[in-house]
Amino acid sequence: MGRLKKNITITSKMIFTFLVIICVGLIIVSYLFADLLSPVRTAVGNFFVPMQKGISTVSGGISETLRIFSDKQKLIDENDKLTSEINDLKTEMQILIHQEYELKWYRDLYENDSVYQNAEKVAARIISRNPNGACDMFVIDKGKEDGIEVDMNVLAGGGLVGIITDVGSNWAKVRTIIADDSSVSGRFQPTSDTCIVKGNMRRMDDGYIDVEMINLNAEVYDNYEVLTSYISDKYLPGILIGYVTNIRKDPSELNKRAYLTPVVDFEHLEAVLIVKTLRENLEGFE
Amino acid sequence: MMIVIKAIIVLIEIIIAYLLQTSVFTELRLADVVPDILMILTASLAYIFGKKTGSLTGFICGMLIDCTYGSLIGLYALLYTVVGYMAGYAHRVYDENDYTISYFIVGGAEFLINVMYYVLFYFLRGDLDFGHFLVRYLFPRVIYTVLISILLYRLINLDNALFYKLSDGMKKKRVVTVFKGFDTDDDR
Repeated sequence: MGRLKKNITITSKMIFTFLVIICVGLIIVSYLFADLLSPVRTAVGNFFVPMQKGISTVSGGISETLRIFSDKQKLIDENDKLTSEINDLKTEMQILIHQEYELKWYRDLYENDSVYQNAEKVAARIISRNPNGACDMFVIDKGKEDGIEVDMNVLAGGGLVGIITDVGSNWAKVRTIIADDSSVSGRFQPTSDTCIVKGNMRRMDDGYIDVEMINLNAEVYDNYEVLTSYISDKYLPGILIGYVTNIRKDPSELNKRAYLTPVVDFEHLEAVLIVKTLRENLEGFE
Repeated sequence: MMIVIKAIIVLIEIIIAYLLQTSVFTELRLADVVPDILMILTASLAYIFGKKTGSLTGFICGMLIDCTYGSLIGLYALLYTVVGYMAGYAHRVYDENDYTISYFIVGGAEFLINVMYYVLFYFLRGDLDFGHFLVRYLFPRVIYTVLISILLYRLINLDNALFYKLSDGMKKKRVVTVFKGFDTDDDR
C-alpha cells in the first residue's frame, strides 16, 4: 500500500462493507414497512415487462413455426380422428344441453350457482417466472390498464391457480396456491366440511400440497373435491382447487390433515384466466 | 468517462442476463431447475476484474431478483454481493486464455449461494432434510449452471479485451477494472 495520498483510495473492502450495510438496511426496512418499497418494485417491473413480453412473443412464434413442419400424414390421421370425434361429441352435446337445463333448475333451487362462472374474466399470458425455477410465482402480461387489481383470483383449466399480489401498469404478479406462504380456506364438495389448503413446494415435487385443519369428525374420504369456501375473504367461493388423498390424523390429535392434488398443472401453465370480480364486492354471499 | 462507458456495458450485460434467466431459460428447464445466469455473470466478472466489480455486479443482480420476485428486498442482493466478493479472490489466478478455472469458480459460487439460501430459507424454518435439497435441487442447478457457463463465459471474457481497447491500452496493464480508481492493486 504505497499510495496513501491525500485522495482516499476506495478499497474493495469498503465497497463490500457499504453494499452489505445497504442490503441489511433494505432487508430491515422492507420487513418493517412492506409497502414503502413497492414503488421500486413497480418501476423495475415496468422496465422489464415490455422486453419480457417481446421475448415470450418471439419464442411463441418460433414454436408455432416449428409446428408447421410436423408430419403431414400425422395431421391427416389426426383430422380423421377428430372428425369422428366431433360427430360423437355433437350427439353427446345434445344430451348435455338437455341436462344443463335440468342442472340450472337444480342450481336455482340449491342457490349454489358458481359465482365465478358468470363473472367477467380476462385471459393473460405468463411472461416470466421465478428465477429459481420454482412455480410459486409468475408474472402475467395484463395489468392495471386491463382492469386487473390486487386480490383478483386466477384460474386455469377450471381450477384455482392463485391470486394477484402485485399490479403494474401492464403486468401483474401472481402467487400460486402451491407457494409455501399461500393458504386458502376450502371446503369438501359433498359434505361441506371446511379445511385450509396450504402450499408446499417440497411436496409439490410428488404432485401434492397440504390440507390442514380438517375437523376430526368430518366425514371425508379420498378423491373428494376441495372447493374454495364461503368463509374466505379473498377467494371467490366454489372454485375447484383439487382432489384430496391420504387423509390422516394430525400429530396434535386435534384435527386431521391430508394431501391435495391440484387440478392445475403448474409446471406447464402458459395462459391463465383472471376473474375480474373481487370477493369483497360480491353480493348475496354475506 | 471511461468508467461510465464500462459501467453501462456491465449494466446491459446484467439486463440481458436477467431477461435470459426469467424469460428464456424458464422455458428450457432441465430436471425442473433453471440455470443461474446472473450468478454466471457475477462470478465471471468477479474472476476477470476482481472483488469490487464482483460485489457491485452481485449487488445489482441480487437487487433485480429482489425487486421482482423476492419477499424481502435486499436478501438476494446480500447473498449475491457476498458471493461476488468471495469469487473476486479468484482474480489473482486470472488468465485470460484459460477458461477451465472459471467453470470451477462459477460452480463453487453457485454451490455457495444455494447453501446460504438453504440455511436462510429452509433451515431456519425447521426444514432439516438437507439430503433432499442437495439431490433434488442443488446438484442439478449447479451442474446446469456450469454447463451454460461454458458457453457464456467465452462471451463475458470478451469484456476484458473490449475494455482494454476502449481505455486505449492503460499502460501495459492488460487487466482493467470496470470502475476507475477501483484498480485491482489492493486485491492482489
